[in-house]
Amino acid sequence: MAGGGRRVDADPALVMVSAMEKIINFFKSFLLLELLKGMSVTGRYFFARHITVEYPDEKTPQSFRFRGLHAQRRYANGEERCIACKLCEAVCPALAINIEVAERADGTRRTTRYDIDMTKCIFCGFCEESCPVDAIVETRVYEYHGEKRGDLYYTKTMLLAVGDKHEEQIARDRALDAKYR
Amino acid sequence: MANIEIDGKQIEVENGCTVIEAARRAGVYIPHFCYHKKLSIAANCRMCLVQIEKAPKPMPACATTVAEGMKVYTASEMAVKAQKGVMEFLLINHPLDCPICDQGGECELQDQAVGYGSSASRFHEEKRVVLHKDIGPLVSAEEMSRCINCTRCVRFGQEIAGQMELGQAFRGEHAEIMTFVNGSVNSELSGNMIDICPVGALTSKPFRYTARSWELSRRRSVSPHDSLGSNLAVQVRNNRVMRVLPIENEDINECWLSDKDRFSYEGLNSNERLTRPMLKQDGKWQEVEWQTALEFVANGLRQIKDGAGAEQIGALATPHSTLEELYLLQKLLRGIGSHNVDFRLRQSDFSADGKQAGTHPHPNLPPEGEGATVSSDGGEPRQFLPWLGMSVADLGKADRLLIIGSFLRKDHPLLAQRIRQAVKKGAQVSVIHSTDDDLLMNVAHKNIVAPNAMADALAQVAQDVAAKNNAGISGSLLSGERVVVLLGNFAQQHPQAAQLQSLAQQIAAATNGKFGFLGEAANSVGAYLAHALPGTQGMNAATMLSSPRKAYILLNAEPELDCANPQQAMAAMQAADLVVAISAYKHHAVDYADVLLPSAPFSETSGTFVSTEGRVQSFKGAVKPQGEARPAWKILRVLGNLLNVSGFDQDNSEAVRDAALASVNIVEKLNNILNENVGRAMPDAVGEAHPTKTGGFQRIAEVPIYSADAVVRRAAALQKTRDAAVPRAAMHSAELEKLGVQPGAQVKLSQGQCCVYLYADADDRLPKGAVRVAAGHAATADLGAMFGTITVERA
Amino acid sequence: MLSVQVQEKIERELRKYPADQRQSAVMSALRFVQDEKGWIESSDMADVANYLGMAQMAVYEVATFYHMYNLKPMGKHTLTVCTNLSCQLCGAEEVLGYIKDKLGIGIGEVTADGKFGLREAECMGACVEAPLLSVNNKRLCFRLTPAKVDQILAELGGQP
Repeated sequence: MAGGGRRVDADPALVMVSAMEKIINFFKSFLLLELLKGMSVTGRYFFARHITVEYPDEKTPQSFRFRGLHAQRRYANGEERCIACKLCEAVCPALAINIEVAERADGTRRTTRYDIDMTKCIFCGFCEESCPVDAIVETRVYEYHGEKRGDLYYTKTMLLAVGDKHEEQIARDRALDAKYR
Repeated sequence: MANIEIDGKQIEVENGCTVIEAARRAGVYIPHFCYHKKLSIAANCRMCLVQIEKAPKPMPACATTVAEGMKVYTASEMAVKAQKGVMEFLLINHPLDCPICDQGGECELQDQAVGYGSSASRFHEEKRVVLHKDIGPLVSAEEMSRCINCTRCVRFGQEIAGQMELGQAFRGEHAEIMTFVNGSVNSELSGNMIDICPVGALTSKPFRYTARSWELSRRRSVSPHDSLGSNLAVQVRNNRVMRVLPIENEDINECWLSDKDRFSYEGLNSNERLTRPMLKQDGKWQEVEWQTALEFVANGLRQIKDGAGAEQIGALATPHSTLEELYLLQKLLRGIGSHNVDFRLRQSDFSADGKQAGTHPHPNLPPEGEGATVSSDGGEPRQFLPWLGMSVADLGKADRLLIIGSFLRKDHPLLAQRIRQAVKKGAQVSVIHSTDDDLLMNVAHKNIVAPNAMADALAQVAQDVAAKNNAGISGSLLSGERVVVLLGNFAQQHPQAAQLQSLAQQIAAATNGKFGFLGEAANSVGAYLAHALPGTQGMNAATMLSSPRKAYILLNAEPELDCANPQQAMAAMQAADLVVAISAYKHHAVDYADVLLPSAPFSETSGTFVSTEGRVQSFKGAVKPQGEARPAWKILRVLGNLLNVSGFDQDNSEAVRDAALASVNIVEKLNNILNENVGRAMPDAVGEAHPTKTGGFQRIAEVPIYSADAVVRRAAALQKTRDAAVPRAAMHSAELEKLGVQPGAQVKLSQGQCCVYLYADADDRLPKGAVRVAAGHAATADLGAMFGTITVERA
Repeated sequence: MLSVQVQEKIERELRKYPADQRQSAVMSALRFVQDEKGWIESSDMADVANYLGMAQMAVYEVATFYHMYNLKPMGKHTLTVCTNLSCQLCGAEEVLGYIKDKLGIGIGEVTADGKFGLREAECMGACVEAPLLSVNNKRLCFRLTPAKVDQILAELGGQP
């Protein structure tokens, strides 16, 4: 029964219903039923398990496939893994990786420069996936910052340092992921 | 002809055609490794196995010739199974570490393993290891374990390069590619082994581990070195030339490239590059702005013109400069009133100038220009413009060749290769020269004489040919149908060049053959077309230096290395008031020049080279000029503007080229023919010019292959090759004995006031009374003329 | 330089082949060199190459392909024992072991007095007589037993 004003000579039954509604509404508002209903939601969430994570005091759980800050790994004997094949540079969709290669004194193929511009990086993980020797990996580290633009331009030494610092975690994560690869 | 069917496609091919070639023409790709269209068939990789109807087993497509009605299936079950099997065998001993391999990304094995192999290997045993080898500074054999023993490199050496330096020693699982007793590969074509190696066993040493094929962009270019005009793919990354590969052109370089063309790019990135204009102020070099430098040059030239006269200004260019550069250089000189411009820096006999079969005004000259006479014999007026006299392809079809005074293999590596193939098909080569280097082909007849006897030797052949003498060289030439007579660099630089030319021309005429010049440099023909020549009013290169000018403009030239007589050239430079060096390099000119203008080498400028067969090839710059270097044609254009010479308003090099070649019908212009009358008169004219009469030795000077031009002199890897070793003084052992010098001991060589000390070599193939001392090298730059007397003493 | 005798032998060999096919004589030429001095040095290969007008590397290929050519001194008498299947089934391993013990050398080695060298070879095409060995690639000795080996060594003047 939408729109329009009610006709004066209305159906007596309808007039009755209208009167009843008014009475019910009066009691509803008098007894604060709607308030209680609203408060019940508050009450339910008040006692429910909390979802909000109190960062930085608390942290969300991470997958072992988390794609955070990049790192360059080394072998156990301290030798860098990267063999300068340049596949990561080729696959990088953001063109964030920059590599220069040269032959090291011992005749091996090594990078003389391995830079990742974190301001360009979209953290797709293709570099990690393309790496034949698991040298470039993405760690779980996401708390890093730079005060200047250049601070986020990671050079080979910086990447190796990240790797050295988190090697244990990285190795554990690779082991967990190994059976899916 | 045979009609065959390949994968359902009908194709008609000639009898004797292989299945793999027929498939290529039908557009069906058959995987292969050992097969190469330019090499003999080995059929040892077995990758091209295909199924042929009615054949019980798969057949190698490269070694199976077509037969009428043959039906070939390249992707049938049998063929695919065979391909997979072969691939698995090939990969058994091949390392699977493609990411480390330098061939990764451009590897035939990698591509075909992806296309025709299975995804995993069943081989878990130990792979064989082949020790790495050091086979020289150009080709890296560091990873011989990757070799799949296709023997392409071995066949290349035997068949194309003409010398078997690599071979497959041992057998079975122990077979490996190596040189004889740890030797090195010294062929001047060795770089092609890198191209034809289907895997990463032979790779480029200078390029090794510097870039990946996928990150390089290919830019088309033309070789700036020898006169063949090889087509290059200059590969570039980050505005730097990383390597050079051939672009296939069947008419020119086929699919090959000489090492000089391939590895000279290192010189482009040399530390010696001049990257800022420099001015000598109070005896000290200062880097200055372009404006300052160019104004200094313009003022200097203007002063000399106003003071001493325009004829006191001379310009020397190398024939490695582009057509545009040479055209603007001569235009600039003529614009300021001097005709002293020349590019024939190593030539010593200019007596042929103006004596050609009819001269006529060159269209590039102002109307009042020289040589406005019509030929005396009333024939069609034509200007002399030495060229090959035929196309390069025709050269390969010759059946009798006479090569006069040419270090063929070193000066023209790929033309030599063409002639080598012709010889294999039955052509006969005869040689008249002063040295007897191994041409790596069968030489039917040769006459090795001292430089001063060259003309007599040639005259003898001319006489024999005229008398139809059927012995020796003349007999060989007379028996041919397509005779070719060629004059090499040595003959063109010879003090009796005109006489040699006239005689060669007579021989060619008498044998109904073609006669041509093996052009010295990339743009020797183009320089003539640009008219970078003095004409009748100016001074030629030799005169300009023997009667020193007050000002010199050097375009890419290093006088002590590029001139016929370095002593004379250096004296002239040192005496000059103003020397302007337009060069890509900070070379020896720092000692005598006043201004250094950094120009861009071929990779950094657009330009045009006209090859020795008259083929005009323009190219664009592959990278930006280094530092503040600028294309030389732009430098010359601005100089023209500053000196208010008209006609210097081109916006791009194409406009310069079009101006240079406007109204020039190149085909008509190419003209080797000397006027007959002049030719006959000439022997007397230069008769007294015999190089040696009294004492000393006659000098035989070649320009070593890797010293011929500025770029290649600075190519690090090429400079480590045997061909780039410090020159030695080679003589007949009897002469050494007379001098009391042991081979290997030092000798003192002197010409003029200067002397140099070199190690002596005994070479009994050299004529007596002559000593072979290379020119164009820093070690011999203090010596005098390339021809003539040289004194040799015990050191 | 090749000795006059070797050159003469090569010349005789060359007469069997067309004049423009001198390289056909390469195998014989190498054999003559080896007969003369017991093994083939790389300088000998170079000499043969120059003599026959072929590439040095091509001679090297031939010399390394065939195991009959000794690329190092192999003693006065080179014993070459077949160890392929037929011989092995008939006891070649034992015979080889016996020779090794007897001479006190391994495969590819030479006795201290330079008298005997020992080599292993592939099938010599006389399997009916297995196991067998050849002496200096000239003489085949069949149906070997330790006793027979002793006899051969004694004949060649070795220790009893």
